[in-house]
Formats: sequence, structure tokens, C-alpha cells
Amino acid sequence: MDDEGNARRTVLRGLATSLGVAALPWAEMARAAHDAHSAMQTPETLTYTLFSASDAADVEALTSQIVPSGATPGAREAGVTFFIDRGLGSFFSHWRAGFLDGLQKFQATCHDQCPGAERFAVLSSMRQVEFLRTVDTTPFFDQARLLTLCGMFTSQKYGGNRAGAGWKLIGFEDQHVFAPPFGYYDRDYPGFTAQPEKPS
Amino acid sequence: MSARRFRNSETVDFVIVGSGAAGGVLARELARANLSVVVLEQGPRLAPADFEHDELKYWFKAGITADVLASPQSFRRAATLSAEVPKVRNPLVYARGVGGSTLHYTANYWRFHEIDFRERSVLGEIAGTGFADWPISYAELEPYYTRVDWEVGVSGLAGVCPFEPPRTKGYPMPPLPVKSSGVLFERGARKLGLHPVPAPMAINSIAYNGRPGCVHCGFCHGFACEVMAKASTLTTMIPAAEATGNCEIRADSYVSRIEVDKRGRATGVAYFDGEKREHFQRAKAVVLAANGGETPRLLLNSANAAFPQGLANSSGLVGKYLMFNYTARALGTFEHELNEFKSVQVTRILHDFYDSDPKRGFYGGGGLDARIGPQPTMWALRTATEGPGWGAAFKAKLQEFPRSMQVACHSTSLPLESNNITIDPAVKDAWGIPALRVTYKDHPDDLAIARFLQDRGAEILDAAGALRVTRAPVGDSSLAFHLLGTCRMGDDPRKSVVDRHHRSHDVANLFMCDGSSLVTSGRGQPTMTIQALAMRAGDHIAKFARRNEI
Repeated sequence: MDDEGNARRTVLRGLATSLGVAALPWAEMARAAHDAHSAMQTPETLTYTLFSASDAADVEALTSQIVPSGATPGAREAGVTFFIDRGLGSFFSHWRAGFLDGLQKFQATCHDQCPGAERFAVLSSMRQVEFLRTVDTTPFFDQARLLTLCGMFTSQKYGGNRAGAGWKLIGFEDQHVFAPPFGYYDRDYPGFTAQPEKPS
Repeated sequence: MSARRFRNSETVDFVIVGSGAAGGVLARELARANLSVVVLEQGPRLAPADFEHDELKYWFKAGITADVLASPQSFRRAATLSAEVPKVRNPLVYARGVGGSTLHYTANYWRFHEIDFRERSVLGEIAGTGFADWPISYAELEPYYTRVDWEVGVSGLAGVCPFEPPRTKGYPMPPLPVKSSGVLFERGARKLGLHPVPAPMAINSIAYNGRPGCVHCGFCHGFACEVMAKASTLTTMIPAAEATGNCEIRADSYVSRIEVDKRGRATGVAYFDGEKREHFQRAKAVVLAANGGETPRLLLNSANAAFPQGLANSSGLVGKYLMFNYTARALGTFEHELNEFKSVQVTRILHDFYDSDPKRGFYGGGGLDARIGPQPTMWALRTATEGPGWGAAFKAKLQEFPRSMQVACHSTSLPLESNNITIDPAVKDAWGIPALRVTYKDHPDDLAIARFLQDRGAEILDAAGALRVTRAPVGDSSLAFHLLGTCRMGDDPRKSVVDRHHRSHDVANLFMCDGSSLVTSGRGQPTMTIQALAMRAGDHIAKFARRNEI
């Protein structure tokens, strides 16, 4: 695995050089995706590289309120926290400082507003929702929401959308080729007929 | 590939900046006329196999568009406000790479109507705007529209739209198979006495011109076609230009300025290669086809002692009259699945509201289409137009994905001097070139027609039996894909930047041909018209070259 990973990295670096500066972000992203994907192949070693355990618990609790679990998978099952952890350390690194700063403020506000609770993650779900209603228009919440939805619905290679959980949730089929009929309403379409009348 | 290579020191007949909708066509037309051509494209040359269904890369990491980190653009609502560079996406979205924005466009290919070219004469002046007639008519452009239909490859059904402008020839391919959104749109619109028709699309419905038919993967808008069914100049015009043996496409070549000599004639362009080394390509004439944002930026950044306001800017209009087109959206949720994530964006359109109607009390018109919602991530981000965008109710709304569609309402933008491209005094890109600054606020009539059309779209969805219809909020634009009007065409050098043949009024061997040439905005879907203009410009410019009139 290591050798293969290194070889791929070398190839990607070479590719980046040959294509010039414009291709660099793609190569970086491919590397990040490769690393995230490799980590997911060995779940027993799945660890956070950016978040502390308690930060990860808060992020997981927050993102799980954005897309809750239930009869169908939510952010938790899609591996959104892992996606955010890996993303902020690589392909979304330009958002890292802002997110971590926002998280700290979010935690401090929660601590102030919810006496007796050490952190957001330990609040009851009902109290979490109540608290979120007071902060759901902040830039941090917006960013957390954006990252949650990216982690739910973008390609699995970035470490989220685990086992296609996000796509299954909304009925998206990941295929390159489809043929008509595409849906219910075009099944029995008789064909286009021109309307004879002229508009007035 | 028999592509030719030129040295920088060789003075080629033409250097073309940009390889997109217009640049690709011009390259082929001029090269076929036996003129030597170098095309400089700021982005890389990718193969269709490089294109992926990857929303994260294409929407959040710029993918093939101008990255906000390396190529920042600033935005402000009015000249009195300070401009900011957005965090996620630049305000002007265009594709970098050989093929330009034809890589990632939707490929809606309706023609402008006759009225678009003479609307000012018919409706009269609109105070405070630069509303004007075009110097050319629809009739003059018609042969070139037909050439685009056949040479680029447009699928559609002629003769069924009662509002369709006259055409000399039908489409070379039948329309693409209808989607559920198209069936519902047709059903609803006909109930209301409207005239929906199959959408003309620059996407192969069958194998044509050496490219295969569409496989209906669903990733058109914002993505590049990996099977080449969508007509990008990357796979249509560019290979044809290279096959002449007269044209070199130089990718990763980012032009920073145009140089002029003491006589005020362009001598060529300075550019950076992929390693950020500077070069200068000499040419007898320069053609800018860099899009309605980058073309004026290049002219303004090429200011010198003889042209202190920017090159070709004696009118003061370079960068002004920026028009975006508005797209209002009505969203419908239905009982059964539509699966709009499959196949092309649009299969039905209607032009019943194309013309401006003074009885409405405001200027404007538009075309409606039935289309896909976006792909999963963008769907999720845009869905919550009402209520909180999180929690159990939001999750339930997300699950309406396969049962949803939208009516997109494409409409006019009035040309205003206050909507423009200027150079940001502080922001520079990763190459050290001053960044473009966008100033834009929609004219009240632009928003009025957008709301009017959105209501019509909502009525169609309702008539089609939607369980629920919602309207995306209509407000001032801050993101645009259509970059129009910033070097407008006209006969009067005081009121326009290029003449009717796309030659700049001020510099005899400098031409601009792309979205910047448009005098009015049409009703969205400008690429067909940009390519027809480029076909026509190619004809004329080649004639000038042969007669030694450049």
C-alpha cells in the first residue's frame, strides 16, 4: 500500500510539473483523496488528523443536527466529521483557520448559554436544537452546513458520503450512462406534436 | 495531429487570445483561409477522458474555472462601495482550458430573434441606460446561425415554434429524448395556451460530425463532456483548425498585455507560460476572444502613454454595459420520480414571453425552460429556499431530489454604464497582474421581468400538477456565467468599442469578438449568437487580411 501510494504521489507530482501551475490544485486534491480513501480502507486506523477527540465529538453532534440520522442515514453515517477533518487538512485548508476559530467561539457560546453542560456534544438532542436555533445564522454555522453537505453528497473519494450514504438518501444514481425513459412522466410520452394554432 | 508550431519571434498573421466559443471558431475560420494563427489559452489542454463527475472539484475547488485564490476577482454593488474578493467563488464564472466555457456550458442553443437587433428602434429610448440597436440585423447573421447549427452540431426541431425567427435550414439532428421535466412542462404550458417546443441543444442526439450521441450522464452544466457529445470547441473547431496546418493552440499561456507601436498598431501580446516565464508573441493582428470579463480587463491593463484610458478605449466604454442575463427559478415537486439528474439539462423551452410588452409597465422579455435541478451537492445547498436549512424537515426536503424539477426563466439585462469591469487598484492575481473588479446592480426592470417570468414558470408547474411550487428569491445578481456587452459593437466610435466587423475603432489591427461584442443581452443562452458572430467575423477578417486591409 505504501509503495503504491508513494508511486502514485510521484506520478502526480510529475504530472503537476509537466502541466504547470494550473494543474497543481488537481494533483493536491488527488493526493488528498488518495490519502482519505486509503484511510477508509482500514477503518480500525481511522483517526482524526486535525480535530481533538472532544472537538470531533462537537463537530459530529453539530453536523448530525444538520442532517440527522434516523430511519435513513444522516451526516454521522456518511462520515461527515472525518470528511471535514481531512478536508480542512488538505483540499479545504484555506478554510481551516476560519473553521477552527468559529468552532472555538461556538463552543464558548454554548458553554455560556447552557450552564451545567461541559460541551455541545453532551447536551440532549432537544437542547442542542434549541441552542442551534440561536446560532444558525452565524457564518460558522453556514460554513459547517456547507461542509456537512459536501461531506454528504460529494464523491466518496474525499472521505465522506460513506458507502454512498448521501446519494442513497436522495435517490441519486452514480452512473455514467442512462437511457430513456428517465422517469415516471416520460415513460408513455407519445412524441411531440406541433400545435397548429398561431398565438394571438 | 498535424498541428503546426510557431516561434515567438515569427510574426504570425493572427494571435487569438482565448480558445472558447468565439476563439475556437475564429481559429478555424482564419486557419482555413490560409492565414497563420497562434491561439493563446490561459488554461491547460485537457482530454475528454480527464473530465470527471466530481462536484467538489468542479464547484468548490474551481475545477476548470478561475480559482478565487490564484485568479481573484473583486465585486461591489456600486462604485461608492469597496470591492471584496469572495471566499468561495469568483463573481464571473468562466472555464479555463482549451475549449473555454464551451467545456462547461449547458449548451442551450436558441437563436436571438429579429427583435433583439432592433429593439431600441421599436421600443424607443430607456432613460438612464445604453439601450441601443445593433449595427447588424438578424438577416445578416442568419447564414452564420445556420452554419453553427450544422458545423458545430445542434439538435432540435425546426418549424414548430411559432415565435422562431426565420431560418434557411432545419437542424442536422433530431431533438434529444424528452425528460420527465420536459413532459410536465409541455403538459402545463399547453393547458395555459402556451407553446412549448423541443429545446435546441449543441449536444449530439445521434452520432454526428465524428462525435458520438449523448449517453445521458447528466453532468453538463458546470462539467465538461467526457464522451464529446456536447459540442465544445475543444472537440469541434480546435481539431479542425489544427488540421489545416496553419494553427497552433498554445495552452497554459496567460496573456498579460497587448503591445502597440508608435503608429498605434498592435505588435503582439505578452504572456506567461505554464512555468510563469514571460514571452512575447509577435503578430500582424491581435484578436481578443477572452470573454466579456477578461477581454476588457486585458484592454484596460494594456494602457500606455498613447492610450492612457486603456487600449481601444477612446469611447470610454471598454468594460461598461456589463450584462449578465437574469435566471429566475420556480421549483416544482411532483408525486412520482422525474430523475432529473439523468441526461441533458433542458429538453423543452418556450418563447411566448420573449418580446418586451409595454403593457407590463417595464422593459424586458425572456425564454423559459424545463430543467434538471442541479446535481446532489448543489441541490442540497440550494434547496432550502424556505425554512431552516437543517434538521429533520430539511432532510425530508433533500429526499425530494428525484421528484423535483425547475422552470428556469432566462431574461434581459439592460446595458448600464454603472455595471462594468474595471481594474482593482489593490488586488493582483498569482501572476502579479491587476485583477478585474466587477461593479453590478440589476436594473429594476431586469428584476421586474425576472419576477414576472417566475410567476409564469410557477403557473406552468402548477398546471402540470405539482404538489408544491416554490420560488427562489429574486434579488440583485452577484454571480454570472453570461459575460456580455463590455466592448459593444456599433458604427459610432464615440458610442461603441468595435465596429460591425469586430475591428476596434481605435486600433486598426485589433479585433474583439466574444460576449463583449453584444449590444443587448438577448434572453439568455448567448453562446449560439457569440459563435454566429465569430463565424461572421472570421469571414470578414479573413477578407480584410487577403486584401491587405489590416
